[in-house]
Amino acid sequence: MSLTFDILLLLYLVAAALVVAQAKDLLAASIVFSSYGLALCLLWQYRGAPDVAMAEAAVGAGITTVLFLVAIGRTTRREK
Amino acid sequence: MRRPIAIALVLLSAIPLVVAVAGLPAHGDPSAPVHTHVSAHYIERGAEEAGATNLVTGVLLNYRGLDAAGEVTVIFTALIAVLAILLGTGTTPESTASSRGASDRRGADRESTVAPVSPIVSFVVRLLAPFIALYAAYVILHGHVTPGGGFQGGAILAGLFIALAMVLGTRAMQPVARTALAPWLQGAAVLSFVVVGTVGAFLTGFFLGFPAEPPLHLVRELLIIALEVGIAIGGAAVLATIFLHMEAS
Repeated sequence: MSLTFDILLLLYLVAAALVVAQAKDLLAASIVFSSYGLALCLLWQYRGAPDVAMAEAAVGAGITTVLFLVAIGRTTRREK
Repeated sequence: MRRPIAIALVLLSAIPLVVAVAGLPAHGDPSAPVHTHVSAHYIERGAEEAGATNLVTGVLLNYRGLDAAGEVTVIFTALIAVLAILLGTGTTPESTASSRGASDRRGADRESTVAPVSPIVSFVVRLLAPFIALYAAYVILHGHVTPGGGFQGGAILAGLFIALAMVLGTRAMQPVARTALAPWLQGAAVLSFVVVGTVGAFLTGFFLGFPAEPPLHLVRELLIIALEVGIAIGGAAVLATIFLHMEAS
């Protein structure tokens, strides 16, 4: 069970990272990156690092995304 | 032509990485070097030596206090760099605010990034705000006992400020963000390390030293909590300031 959960999360992380790198729509990329942060947070927690998981959830999944969204709002949504 | 070269380079650098990972000791292996060096001492004596049941906090603020001091300095320097870039473009929040008065006639006064906030989002954020604030306070003040601490609690606090700023408009933050208090809040993490470090120097003879004798255990706990609160206020202020300036620029 534990290994399956790990592998699923890791596969999701790889897939999300590829989507973020390939996406031309920066809004979509930011939101997928936020879900990447959430999956990473679950993985930290599952691997016994709750301190890192908390920081990842608040900064990685939360504030980074907001700052990306503000930046997109100030520039353009599409990558040229 | 460039694409095959790029793929070949990636594969070439991936092979040593995979080989290196395969050579690591198994997860949780008790004879792994990481578990036989200093961490055995930390696990055995950390709680009483460092004054924090949460060993992560004990290592972060006591054993490796100077590293944490450097870390908060890096965060503060990052804020200075971001502000230098954002304010270097010539549109400070003050000038935007004053020019706003002139251009308000167009009715295009943008209070938040997301166009009109839905009443549901607004209600939920305002409903949850006190609970998020309580949770942040718990994470900060209880960080030396349970997982959490100044960095995590500060990030939660900053998230709360940003959510409120998006719902109520960034102007609701101005009573705090525009006063002489703001620089002290942004530098709170660095300042708390300087103050606690100096107090520690008087008590133990070492900068950032924590008294380890039993009669001074309460002092040690208070010093750790002071550091946690300072880190949290500083971290939250830095993140919120970056957000407010990005909003206003």
